[in-house]
Amino acid sequence: MGLRDDVAKVLIPEDALQERVAELAREIDSVYVGERPLLVCVLKGAFVFLADLTRHLEVRHEVDFMETSSYAGGTASSGVVRILLDLEQNIEGRHVLVVEDIIDSGRTLQYITRNLRTRNPASLRICTLLSKPARRQIDVPVDFIGFEIPDEFVVGYGLDFVEEYRNLPFIGVLKGEVIQSGE
Amino acid sequence: MKIPDAVDRVLLNETEIEQRVDQLAARISADYAGVTDLVLVGVLKGAFIFMADLARRLTVSHRVDFIALSSYERGAVSAGAVRLIMDTRTSVTGQHVLIVEDILDTGHTLSYLVRNFSARQPASLRTCVLLSKPDRLQVDVPVDYLGFEIPDVWVVGYGLDYGDRYRTLPYIAALKPLACG
Repeated sequence: MGLRDDVAKVLIPEDALQERVAELAREIDSVYVGERPLLVCVLKGAFVFLADLTRHLEVRHEVDFMETSSYAGGTASSGVVRILLDLEQNIEGRHVLVVEDIIDSGRTLQYITRNLRTRNPASLRICTLLSKPARRQIDVPVDFIGFEIPDEFVVGYGLDFVEEYRNLPFIGVLKGEVIQSGE
Repeated sequence: MKIPDAVDRVLLNETEIEQRVDQLAARISADYAGVTDLVLVGVLKGAFIFMADLARRLTVSHRVDFIALSSYERGAVSAGAVRLIMDTRTSVTGQHVLIVEDILDTGHTLSYLVRNFSARQPASLRTCVLLSKPDRLQVDVPVDYLGFEIPDVWVVGYGLDYGDRYRTLPYIAALKPLACG
């Protein structure tokens, strides 16, 4: 498969990913006993993680989606993004769990959580598959973390590079020359 | 995993779904071999699990995009007119488009999408649908890749919901008639 040739190394193999996602589901189940959380997926990157995570959950829950994009000409430092698709559901009084693929600087996530908090949810927690602590600029409290990873360019399991590699079933590090030629 | 009380019976279990998605992915990968600008357009919310599993099994290079629709009338009965509330992130003109849907019921929604996307002048346009209810079909709409034909019962799981519930069950199940009263 051509895409795999562009991967320098496999950071998290498929079986380790699946095992950890199942564990995260158990952690989430134990926190939301007797509640009916709404899982909020930030597209596109998190959809693969969400698809696997939700199928492992025992607790009754619902899913909803948001899609955001950066403003043309806007500054990245504020984290403020344009909401292209807002939630279908009103989250007032709901237990909300934001599901992310990766937390990098934390700026966008901070903006999204601020935005969601203004809607008065009963609770708001964050679950991310991957976290890059070395890149963090904003201290966003994260309740469920799949893996902490080094500051490398990762793809697969929903994460892309210029829209490619999302469908790799593992998390891999792209070869440097691939990143340079794609930019 | 405990089966909810509202479930009447499991129609398609995880293994059956997985095997069929494997087969669909193999056919799609073969049909699009050598194509470099394939884009899968998934219809939210229902198709997100199918999309996640299908895309992972494709061996052909592709992009993934999502659209969100809303019907003008609320309720379980599919009406013809749908409203596009989120369009694709990038233009599909000149691209090979494969629309990925969870279920074909009356066919009105998919028919609308096919017309809508044809107008964007893609290089090609095909459809991939996990489930079809032939007894319910009202309009003729081409389905190029079909997972399963199912009887006219209310199904949930693997992305399909009833009032947003049961959507993430890992199998596809028929609800008890009372539960969808």
